Amino acid sequence: MSPAPSTYAGVADVVAVLVLLTEFAMLRAPLLRSQVRLYAFQSLVVTVLAVVIAATRHIDELYVLAVLSFVLKVVLVPGLVLRLLRDADVDLAGSSVLGVPSMIMIAIGVSAFGIFTVGSLHVHSNALPTTALAVAAAVVLVAFVLIILRADVVSQAIGFFSLENGVSVASLVVAAGLPLVVEVAFLFDLLVAVVVFGVIMRVHHGRSQTLSTEDLDRLKG
Amino acid sequence: MLKSVEVVLLGTSVVAPQDVQVLQVMTILGGAPLVSGFVSHVEGRLQGRRGPRILQPYYDLAKLFRKETVVTEESSWVFLAGPVVAFGCYLIVPLLIPVLTTYGLPLGYMGDILGGAFILALAGFAVALAATESGAPYAQLGGSRAMTFGALIEPTILFVVFAVALITRTDLPYALAATVRSSSSEMVRPGHVLAGFAFFLVVLVDTGRIPVETHSGTLEFGMIDEARTLEHSGAPLALLKWGSAMKQLILYTILINVFVAPWGLAASGRPGSVVLAIPSLLGKAMVLGCVFAVIDNLFSKLRLFKITEFIAAAFLLAVLAVLVFYAGGG
Repeated sequence: MSPAPSTYAGVADVVAVLVLLTEFAMLRAPLLRSQVRLYAFQSLVVTVLAVVIAATRHIDELYVLAVLSFVLKVVLVPGLVLRLLRDADVDLAGSSVLGVPSMIMIAIGVSAFGIFTVGSLHVHSNALPTTALAVAAAVVLVAFVLIILRADVVSQAIGFFSLENGVSVASLVVAAGLPLVVEVAFLFDLLVAVVVFGVIMRVHHGRSQTLSTEDLDRLKG
Repeated sequence: MLKSVEVVLLGTSVVAPQDVQVLQVMTILGGAPLVSGFVSHVEGRLQGRRGPRILQPYYDLAKLFRKETVVTEESSWVFLAGPVVAFGCYLIVPLLIPVLTTYGLPLGYMGDILGGAFILALAGFAVALAATESGAPYAQLGGSRAMTFGALIEPTILFVVFAVALITRTDLPYALAATVRSSSSEMVRPGHVLAGFAFFLVVLVDTGRIPVETHSGTLEFGMIDEARTLEHSGAPLALLKWGSAMKQLILYTILINVFVAPWGLAASGRPGSVVLAIPSLLGKAMVLGCVFAVIDNLFSKLRLFKITEFIAAAFLLAVLAVLVFYAGGG
């Protein structure tokens, strides 16, 4: 009988699994708006993880990070994207190449790859929840699947943002004491990405009256 | 001295394990119509209706047993044997799962969770075969659909069993229930939560509840399990109805006594605790039934071709449960 993990590791694992599940939910969400809301929820879960780690490991800097990530990733970024969507007046996501069950199967395969790869590194430590690390790797990979398989600008933007969430989970569980400057640099990166994707959304919608990227295939000539 | 007082108060007599096992079957047999009657009563209340009486399924069964049985000339003995075989299967499964006791009973080691799943699948197969034998299009459609979706949900059940096997190193339902009872941290470990939730979705599919099927509708096109019984009448129909109520209670029992809340079971063979375990099980099943009734009212039925998405979600949870174990935590 394998022993149950400690409470700290258990909470970290549950949070990581929740982040992975929201990633899968984004993959299948047919409405763009529900995708953005799922991203806000995912960011909230990551914020909770930061608070838990700050409390159990007594790292006060992480509280600052938690507040910053709450303001940015739960309120500001989803709000901005939702506003862009309201201006664009498009509800449904672009149809993806594959049906939902096939997408989920591919994503399951990819996340299994991520989990087994991290598992084969044999990182073992009592202080480190290795499961959360492996699941974070799976989150990053599934975010890539989301970016690749969904054919609209918003899904790709949200995929990119949630990729950052996966990286945050990994950095929080592996290097909780990472200097605040580095973490804030991550968030700044995210802000730049939001601006870039916002411009892309506006320009693309302005030119083709749609958020789908299928038209862009014609550039291949 | 103290001992003798205890003997007088509680009695030393112990119910023989064989008797407990028979009692398990009788509990499922007798309690199943009560639980499904209660669920449809609650459902009616939630929809602003008065709802049928809680004991209504018993009256329905009594009425159907009195009615004559009509069989088309074309159908063979399979049409009548199907319901009997299925009913027999539903009588066997309660021998294998922890219905009343925490300790394993002699015949409980006859089969593991997979064994129970196989017997349930055999029952489904017998009903589908009888439906096909009826020669009527809607019954055949129901049988074919039930087999299709039954095959799709099978991988999820397998992965739930794998997750259980990874937690306990066995695939006996008693072992997982004992593990869950052993400490509260077992209850919240991610692998267990994921496997439990996946099994919850399996129960939704297998009992034909709302995201998959409306069990109270009369529109044949949306039917899956319900359509199979359209051509049966009289006693075979009563057996089918009783059987599906038993299947529902069996699945509820596995979900409750193995995954979610394995408390309130008899830890020893003392008559008092064994008898007390019966209302405790039925009570827990009714609470779970209320959850299903609420789900019934919150969600709408999925289109037939969207059911695969629902099943994919259940499969995802079960696979993640296994993966998380391999990642070292769980």
